Amino acid sequence: MMKAVGLGAAAVAVPGLAAGCSSSGGGGATTSIVFEETKPEVVPYFNNLVAKFNASQSHVAVTHDFTTNLIAAFVRGNPPAIDCDNYNLTTSIFVARGVLADLASLPQAKLINPDIQALVNQYASFHGETNVLPFSVAAEGVIYNKDLFDKVGVSSVPTTWSEFLAVCEKFKSANITPIYQTYGDTWTTQQGLFDYTVGGMIDVAAFYKQLNSAGTSLGPDSPVSFEKDFTAPCKQMLSLAPYFNANPIAKHYADGNLAFASSQAGMYMQGPWAVGQVLTINPKLKMGTFPLPATDDASQTKCRVNLDLAVWLPRSQSAAQRTAALHFLDYLMQPSVITAYNQANLAFSPLKNAPPQTSPLVSGLNQYVSSGRFYQGAGTYVPLTIPVGNFIQEMMLTGDVAGFTSSMDGAFKRLAIRTSA
Amino acid sequence: MATQVTTPPPVAAPRIRARRPRPIPEGGRVNWGLTIVIAIVSLVVLIPLYFAIAMALKSPAQTGTGTGFNFPWPMHWGNFRAAWDLTNTPLAFSMSLLITVIAVAGEIFVSSLAAWAIVRNWGHWQFRATFVYLLLALFIPFPVVALPQVKLMAAIGLANPFGVAILHIMFQLAFNVLLFSAYIRSIPGELEESARMDGCTTWQVYRKLVLPLLAPIAATVGIFAFLQSWNDFMMPQLITANPKYQTLPVVQYLFQDQFTTNFNVAFASYLMALLPTLVVFLIAQRWVVSGIMRGSIK
Amino acid sequence: MSATALPSQRTAGVRSRPRALSKLKKLFFPVAPAYLLMTIPAIVLFTFFIIYPTVQGMFWSFTNYVGYGNWHFIGLANYQAAFADPTIRDSYGFTLLFAVVACLLTNAVAMALAIALNAKIKWRAGFRTIFFMPMVLSGLVVSYIFTFIIGTSVPIIAGAIHFAPLESSILANQHTAWLGIVFVASWVAIPGAIIIYLAGLVSIPNEVYEAASIDGASAWKQFQRMTFPLLFPFFIINTILTFKAFLNVYDICVGLTGGGPGTATTSVAQTIFSGFFTGDYAYQMANAVIFFIITLFFALFQLSVIRRRGGSL
Repeated sequence: MMKAVGLGAAAVAVPGLAAGCSSSGGGGATTSIVFEETKPEVVPYFNNLVAKFNASQSHVAVTHDFTTNLIAAFVRGNPPAIDCDNYNLTTSIFVARGVLADLASLPQAKLINPDIQALVNQYASFHGETNVLPFSVAAEGVIYNKDLFDKVGVSSVPTTWSEFLAVCEKFKSANITPIYQTYGDTWTTQQGLFDYTVGGMIDVAAFYKQLNSAGTSLGPDSPVSFEKDFTAPCKQMLSLAPYFNANPIAKHYADGNLAFASSQAGMYMQGPWAVGQVLTINPKLKMGTFPLPATDDASQTKCRVNLDLAVWLPRSQSAAQRTAALHFLDYLMQPSVITAYNQANLAFSPLKNAPPQTSPLVSGLNQYVSSGRFYQGAGTYVPLTIPVGNFIQEMMLTGDVAGFTSSMDGAFKRLAIRTSA
Repeated sequence: MATQVTTPPPVAAPRIRARRPRPIPEGGRVNWGLTIVIAIVSLVVLIPLYFAIAMALKSPAQTGTGTGFNFPWPMHWGNFRAAWDLTNTPLAFSMSLLITVIAVAGEIFVSSLAAWAIVRNWGHWQFRATFVYLLLALFIPFPVVALPQVKLMAAIGLANPFGVAILHIMFQLAFNVLLFSAYIRSIPGELEESARMDGCTTWQVYRKLVLPLLAPIAATVGIFAFLQSWNDFMMPQLITANPKYQTLPVVQYLFQDQFTTNFNVAFASYLMALLPTLVVFLIAQRWVVSGIMRGSIK
Repeated sequence: MSATALPSQRTAGVRSRPRALSKLKKLFFPVAPAYLLMTIPAIVLFTFFIIYPTVQGMFWSFTNYVGYGNWHFIGLANYQAAFADPTIRDSYGFTLLFAVVACLLTNAVAMALAIALNAKIKWRAGFRTIFFMPMVLSGLVVSYIFTFIIGTSVPIIAGAIHFAPLESSILANQHTAWLGIVFVASWVAIPGAIIIYLAGLVSIPNEVYEAASIDGASAWKQFQRMTFPLLFPFFIINTILTFKAFLNVYDICVGLTGGGPGTATTSVAQTIFSGFFTGDYAYQMANAVIFFIITLFFALFQLSVIRRRGGSL
């Protein structure tokens, strides 16, 4: 459904793209800037936004770039004037290397919820600056099939681990797959099963902070290590294996979406992006989301989040480009624009006192996001040079938790050795 | 030098034009047994191709079911329309075409010249050393040069499609020289000697005599060059600064997001990108076959 | 004039000047200037666009550079870490095994198909076009098609006819996934190899074959004594090139298995590129330099084997 709207908008927006490139006439020079945003499913949405901005004034002409590789752009020395993209460990390197501008003095910076702003610095920071402003927060949990829940007699979502296991048992005895897993695509297991279980049991941000400060001395005596802190969550993950579908290694993301959309499974550990995919297959499916309760203490339950879109400007920019970019930023980060985007895309607004997400598909996570009970996934703190997704896949296949934790400890130690040199 | 001429000097050789190959079979029986074997083996290619075409004509719902080989009915031609709109196909297409044409022409010209010069001067160590130098560079893995090249091209103002075309020519230089030199060795030097005796300069010998003789291998090099440039994703994405000048594979990357790939529209787009390649293939294939002409010179 | 004549007896003056000049010319321009013009500019550009960046890339392997921003020297730290990294070691093991097997398979099949496609079969042009098709498709298309076929279609069909070994996707098993990669990589590489062999085969005039048939040589004998020796230079080229291409496999590993299950099919190129796009550039540059040296070693090894068997390039 959303895809059709998107495609329709694309047909309208493409002329807008061309119009944005030509400089309009009268009343002072028009500065052309490049706005980079590469999330594919919202490209038509932003095409529309950019077209509206270009039509509303004639000082700044924005071109929406959705193909350029950011790293190559910095290497060439011509990064976009303003960027709005997923903020993750890889893009946090831009922060760490000091190539992004300090936005602390902007009025918009003061509107951001501090809990959500803190997410930025959990990956990297640069001399206490505010280099990135959140635009959209995605929250993920366990997606469940409401009709199937009714069918097996589950009246409310589980809030403790024992309740969660009980729900799984109910599905198993009714011969319905409780949880659908797709090991074939490593990222699905990493962001779902792994991140949810670990994040629900340990303080992820604090763990990595201490791990990185241990550096080269990481070992059995360190205050934190994968062996010490991840063994219990991993064992708990493996304990769910009886409740998975058959042959998960042969299943990929698309298979999981199809199976869940055809009501072959009661629960699916995925994010809002999957919700959209499932709806294109079965628009009538009734779904909801709840955070995985990894412990028996309901108050400890947290949900996984990530900064799906965040705004930054490059540090070295001509004055004209900077002014034009800030002009566009003022437009882009109006509360009305931010709220409208997040509502339409099953995401959560990063602003203070933001209105709750009304869609029943993800509203189950509202209270967790607004009260700050969230974490960024443990897998997301691992540099991509360490193939944590593949390690997790191996662990799920062999059940070897000790092998996993020692691989991770070893990899981080080697990383520390060469990055501290 | 021998004063006896055993065969008439082939003065007419440079003027022989490439004749259309005679239809097959040429005066022999058709090997039916082999034909059947080849037909069966060709299934290994045809089945995946059918799969690709079927994908482009299905809807997401039809895609997930069964073995995937089910016939796409009803056919969703709308996928092609959607692909066309989403990727601004005409502009991206012309960018791809620009780079590819420059790269193919450049590769054939530069590489054949260098290869011919090297083979004809094999006696001099400098040329042998140049050959080895080029060959060694054949083994440089692309990741080693990628980032410095991005910086370099931006620094000299070539962060655009022309820069990409130049890099394609340079990257393929070693491989193409290898192919051309292997082929040139089988061309007897006497042809050129006699052309020179007739008063041709080195450039004229190349232009009038050698280049036409190289048609089959030039077609081969051209096919490889075309494919490499047309399908190349990595280099245009890294080198070209302005997103407006991006090529087709890069724009199609839009479909590659792991979270929400609509494979049907993606395949429709890939199939549209395939059409020029098919055209080039059909043309170039005839030139490769025209090597039969070589036999007529002997 | 005898060679033992005294220098004073040699004719001096005007006649020796042009001779000296031409001797000078021979020294600095031992070949016609046209030939130099054909090679030197190409070599200069090649050095500038390829060799110079390579040297730079090697330089960066001794730093912690990410492509932009601040950086500093770290000496051999990257290399030490690379040698101790099990992920890198495993990737070399897989890549080498894969390259050897795929190279053999590709060249054997391509040579056989090229000979068949050069023979008197019906619809020869049509079949040639069909067999060239795989190389026309981009890596993305190929990966998706075969992920589906090998991962979903084949198990379903195998289940229907009760052929146990293929009932679960071979890509899902750590020990057999590499076979899937070999198959797909060969599928893509064979057309290119066929083209090169065909280019060689069409240079063998028909009269040679006719003469052999008249002498009563069987098809296999013809191949062994005539075709293969004449194709030998092309065989050398193909072996070296396909081996090098397979060593650099990237698209297919990423598209087909993502490097899994576990890290069973993670190739060296995949590991190196992951560094470029994830801020670990300099470390993977060290890996890339090691990779370059290994690739060179294999190429030289192959060349020496061929040299010993009497071939020449």
